[in-house]
Amino acid sequence: MDRKKIKFALGSSLIVGTIGYLIATGINSTSTYFFTVSELMDQKVSFHGTGLKVKGNVVAGSIERDPGDYLNVQFAIEEKNRNLNVVYQGVTPDMFQDGGEVVVEGALDEQGVFHANTLLTSCPSKYEAEKEAGGMHPGTLPDYKPKLEPDPRKVDFLPKTTI
Amino acid sequence: MNDIGEFTLMVALATSLYGTVAYVMAARGNRIDLYLSADKAPLITWACIVISSIALWKAFFTNDFSLQYVYAYSNIELDYFYKFSSFWGGQKGSLLFWALILTSYMMVVHIQNRSKNLIVVPYAMAVMLAITCFFLFLLNFSTNPFERIPLPPEDGRGLNPLLQNYWMVIHPPTLYLGYVGFTVPFAFAMAALISRNLDDAWIRLTRKWTVVSWFFLCMGNLFGASWAYVELGWGGYWAWDPVENAAFMPLIVATAYLHSVMIQEKKDMMKVWNMSLILLTFVMTIFGTFITRSGLIQSVHTFDEATLGYYFLGLLFFIIAVCTALIISRLPLLKSKNELDSFLSREAGFLFNNLLLLGIAFATFWGTIFPIISEAIRGVKITVGPPFYNQVNVPIGLALLALIGIGPIIAWRKATWSNLRKNFLKPVMFALIGGAILFPVLPLSNRSEIYTYIAFILCIFVLSSMLIEFYKGTMARYASSETYLGALGSLIWNNKRRYGGYTVHIGVVMIYAGIAGSSSYGIHTEKRLKIGETIEIRDYMLRYEKLAAIQATSVKTRIIAQLAVEKDGKKIWTARPEKEFYKGQNQPVSEVDVRSTLASDLYVILADFSEDESATIKVYHNPMVKWLWTGGWIIALGTMVCAWPDRLEQRRRLERLKLQKIVFSPAQE
Repeated sequence: MDRKKIKFALGSSLIVGTIGYLIATGINSTSTYFFTVSELMDQKVSFHGTGLKVKGNVVAGSIERDPGDYLNVQFAIEEKNRNLNVVYQGVTPDMFQDGGEVVVEGALDEQGVFHANTLLTSCPSKYEAEKEAGGMHPGTLPDYKPKLEPDPRKVDFLPKTTI
Repeated sequence: MNDIGEFTLMVALATSLYGTVAYVMAARGNRIDLYLSADKAPLITWACIVISSIALWKAFFTNDFSLQYVYAYSNIELDYFYKFSSFWGGQKGSLLFWALILTSYMMVVHIQNRSKNLIVVPYAMAVMLAITCFFLFLLNFSTNPFERIPLPPEDGRGLNPLLQNYWMVIHPPTLYLGYVGFTVPFAFAMAALISRNLDDAWIRLTRKWTVVSWFFLCMGNLFGASWAYVELGWGGYWAWDPVENAAFMPLIVATAYLHSVMIQEKKDMMKVWNMSLILLTFVMTIFGTFITRSGLIQSVHTFDEATLGYYFLGLLFFIIAVCTALIISRLPLLKSKNELDSFLSREAGFLFNNLLLLGIAFATFWGTIFPIISEAIRGVKITVGPPFYNQVNVPIGLALLALIGIGPIIAWRKATWSNLRKNFLKPVMFALIGGAILFPVLPLSNRSEIYTYIAFILCIFVLSSMLIEFYKGTMARYASSETYLGALGSLIWNNKRRYGGYTVHIGVVMIYAGIAGSSSYGIHTEKRLKIGETIEIRDYMLRYEKLAAIQATSVKTRIIAQLAVEKDGKKIWTARPEKEFYKGQNQPVSEVDVRSTLASDLYVILADFSEDESATIKVYHNPMVKWLWTGGWIIALGTMVCAWPDRLEQRRRLERLKLQKIVFSPAQE
């Protein structure tokens, strides 16, 4: 009877041990540090090369797109008056705009420029609509709006459902 | 009406408080008069909350912006469809919605168990009323949905465009129905512990509740995934975001519970384990609520107000403390009468299935709270992302998949060599043949692709073992039935639990296959296009034809790009991804266009556009995503079979209960 119990205890602990091992190695090999811009600047050790996530606000007017390659973006993020230059290649999210809060994921190079491979914008809260109704609304049509068709019926787009 | 709504919330709180106390006193003092009085509390509480809910809905439909909540989540232009769903669009309303579902469930339990089982049911009602109390307390004193604005504005702020999707009407209620549903088995488990009625009556009484809640939770997760897929426009359906994890963990623990109670019913084992699992499931639902409402863990979709989280954290610790104490004090009564006999047995299969499921739940939990732990211990915030979850959960998930195939065909107690050979030979052969066929076709260049290959082999193994079970059963019945279809029908109809369960497993296998296929072979590409230029992906060529703007309503403008999609020189589809701009909202919403087939999805996003009508188009080619949704429907079918009322089983149960003298009618007192 007891031998059976020992056998099951061993089998179960083998499974539990394997899962524990997977978790431990998983954490070690995939974890990234999460800093705000000023926290990153205040770190004593150099983090270039290691995976990082950095949170900050886009510096107004700093967004520059390469005229030859629209998807190549440069911008700076700031927090508590500390700046970080970021380069990013790819489609920028809807909410990516001056002053918006972003989280970039990537690594620093030797010049201290951050190479982001992901760019996340975080809305203060998705469920809460904009607090100040008088503020700037990027959601209203941007300046570069294409000509509006005066009569929607003339456009041969069918009403679309996403089902 | 608003005053009435606010007033009934208070009445509901008072009644539920009274009900909790009265039920407990009635059960302890064996006082029938008090019991009869307490028995009115569920109905009154429920009615009050229904009235409050109607009041809030009415405020939405009549554009009553004097309510802060209506002002924040609606406006005059909003479609009635979304006015209805705005009810649970924010913090306050969603708590009221929670209370509404909880008390409605409570009413059903009340009617189901009226004047029977007077030992366990009063305590169960008390537990449910106490939990209702908690929500009513929040609704009355912390997040009152009937909070006024002194000078009512003329129009509301409107509902976030991301929430203006038909999934908004389906997904949250489904998830809530699942979340809240586990309160019922939890309440009965607690009642069993308190009243020392520790046979499996509480499990049988709540089996349907467990199955149905599990089903809603499962569907809620899948609906959430497909909402994210069509609405968020990043080409995927699951990101291991904390809030997704919050819904995923209870589902996994509930799955473990669902399986291990079978062992208790059949073998009278694992009593402590089952108690702990239902406790854990319930705690996970509260923990999930805590995550979404505390803002403690950074996520894409958390609510605004942080203070509320601490109430939930308090509740969480309270429940854990009380339940652990209860379980420990009843430990001698929870002794199992039987023991596991062999590794090679179905019982052992259930045990390992439980360990693996809990492993997945724990890994997910650990990854979710790791930023907090690392910050507390090391002072640095360290986060883990999807790579962590994939690295840990994929191998465990594969082992679990193998067990789905092994469990139903291995013998109870102790499998003999001949049993193994008889049941396993064919499925293993099918799996090996399938593996050999797939080997030259599939790429195997990295770890993810190798995992996918293994997953496909295991899927074939499980699927063939299930289909063989159906085949064998049908053949055995064919002798007494006219047709094969009739034989299959009567097989399923007379063993609803078993074959319904198998059907669910087939759905789960399809989901596994869908995840495996889409996570390894998906590719994407993006390009800035001028009119007439093309973008290519796999065998498809997309030609950018034009860009147009439509003023859809006075608040909504749609910018639509049109792309002709060709495959092998033939036009097969026109993609119309769009961007919608809402007046008064601070972000445009991308509406993707998807062409979905069982083989693969073509997923087109209009990422950006400028005045010269050039546009950035992003295209994803995601294989097998549709398998997930199809698997979901199969799970729905299987659950329906499982949960279908079964007169035979009901009669058997009633007789067993009579024997055990649990059935009680007050007239005899």
